[in-house]
This record gives sequence, structure tokens and C-alpha cells, in this order.
Amino acid sequence: MTPEVNPHPGRQGCALGRPRPMFHRVLTAEPGHVRETLAAVRARFQAEVGTDAIGRLELVLAEVMNNVTEHGAGDRPRAAPVIHLCIVSHDCGLACALTDDGRRLPVDCLLPRGLPQLTGEDLPEGGFGWYLIQDLTQELCYYREDRRNFLAFRIPLMRDAG
Amino acid sequence: MHFDVEEGDQHLKIVVPERRIDAAIATQFKDKLRPLVMKSKKPVHLDMRLVDFMDSSGLGAMIAVRKSLPEGMPLVLLSVTPNVERVFRLTRMDSVFDLRCAPAAEGGAA
Repeated sequence: MTPEVNPHPGRQGCALGRPRPMFHRVLTAEPGHVRETLAAVRARFQAEVGTDAIGRLELVLAEVMNNVTEHGAGDRPRAAPVIHLCIVSHDCGLACALTDDGRRLPVDCLLPRGLPQLTGEDLPEGGFGWYLIQDLTQELCYYREDRRNFLAFRIPLMRDAG
Repeated sequence: MHFDVEEGDQHLKIVVPERRIDAAIATQFKDKLRPLVMKSKKPVHLDMRLVDFMDSSGLGAMIAVRKSLPEGMPLVLLSVTPNVERVFRLTRMDSVFDLRCAPAAEGGAA
């Protein structure tokens, strides 16, 4: 799906420039569907944004969609949520929006967080997902409307050193 | 999922046969690999060259595998690809695992 160039941008608008890839998919929140979707995202954007940015995009999308898969159904295990994913490539990066009809996202997922404690021999085996999402995204925002979660963020094309 | 195990003089070498260690296979990965390493009397070398994606579920499985080794027995991850190395680095798990990164990828795409 490649957007058409608008030859007559409005006075308020800006020229759209060359066509950029977009991606849209609706999927049920199941591991196999998440995998297929990630492969399709990679195929769509790899040539446009390069290896490093596509790696960060894939990791963040995997973490978000895995969370919906694992927790979204809540106590209705047969009712896998339906995820809508939309990605647009532009100069500042990859703008992503995901919605799902699963359970409400717990507030603390979005609070600034550090890594789980790495002290001692008893290493944590989880608790990294939202850290990675927060670390690799910009302008991360969330809201709940009716029965849907809305999550939006941007993956910058260049990663600051450090 | 079948792990190729090679018992050397100095170490136990295991090749990870998957391209992705992700939420879809993390539990299976952990359950199949742990019995292979938990009684090892030699350092374990895990060849990661085929793996080009790992998410936090996969990282959790790797941590579980590491914890299942006999106390003090080293686990070395060989030929770790850049996309996988990133997850270890961002989570500071590169300080816990002994990572040997793969040589620069073909073509050296930026």
C-alpha cells in the first residue's frame, strides 16, 4: 500500500514529497499471527529505513503485541483480542498506532521505569518488555476509549549514541 | 525444535536451530534446552548464529537456561547477531552473559 503523492497540498499542508510505505493490518492476538505480521512489517519497511531501525521497530511491535496476546484476554481466555496496527514512515521516523479490544492496560506499564534488579544470582526472567518499549520509542502515548486500548509512538530513524 | 549437541574436550557446544527466540517458542526453547545443560560438567557454548530476532520472552528463556547450569559453570553465547545483541545490551544483560558477537553482517548494511 503506497500513498499517492498529493500534487496540490492545501495552504495549511505541506508537500507530501516522494511516496513512503505504509502498513495496516488487523490480526487476532495470537503468537503465530504476531510473527506473520512482524515478518510483513519487516518486508515492507526494511529497504526504506535500514537494518538498525527495522530491528528496533520489530522489537517494540513484538513487545506490544505479545503483551496484548498474553494479558489482553484477561479471564476470557477464548476471546483473543483483535489488534489493529498502522505504521507510516516519514522523515522523523516510523509513526505507529495500535488499538486492541483487550483488557485495559495497567497504568504502571506507562510509568517511567528502570530495569529489574540484576543483583545476586537470582536473575529476573521477566519485566523487560515495557522497559524496552519505553527505551526505544518517542512520544509514547496511551488512552482508553470505550472498549479499546489506543497506543501510539514513534521509532526514530537514528538512535542517539549511548 | 532439535538442538545439535557436540561434546568437545573443553566444552559442550550446542547450536540453536531457530531464527527467532520469541514469545511463540520461548517456553519450548527453555524446556528443551535446560535438560541438555543442567548437568553439564563443561562450559556450555551456545552457537547463536542462526538467531536473528529475540524479544523479552526469548531473553527470559535465555536467563532461565543460564540459571539452570551448575553453579559457576560458564555459558558462552557465540556468534550473536546485532539484532539479538541489542536486547542483551539494552537490558544490561550483556554484563551477565558472556557474549561473542558475530563478525559484521554481509554487506554491512547500516
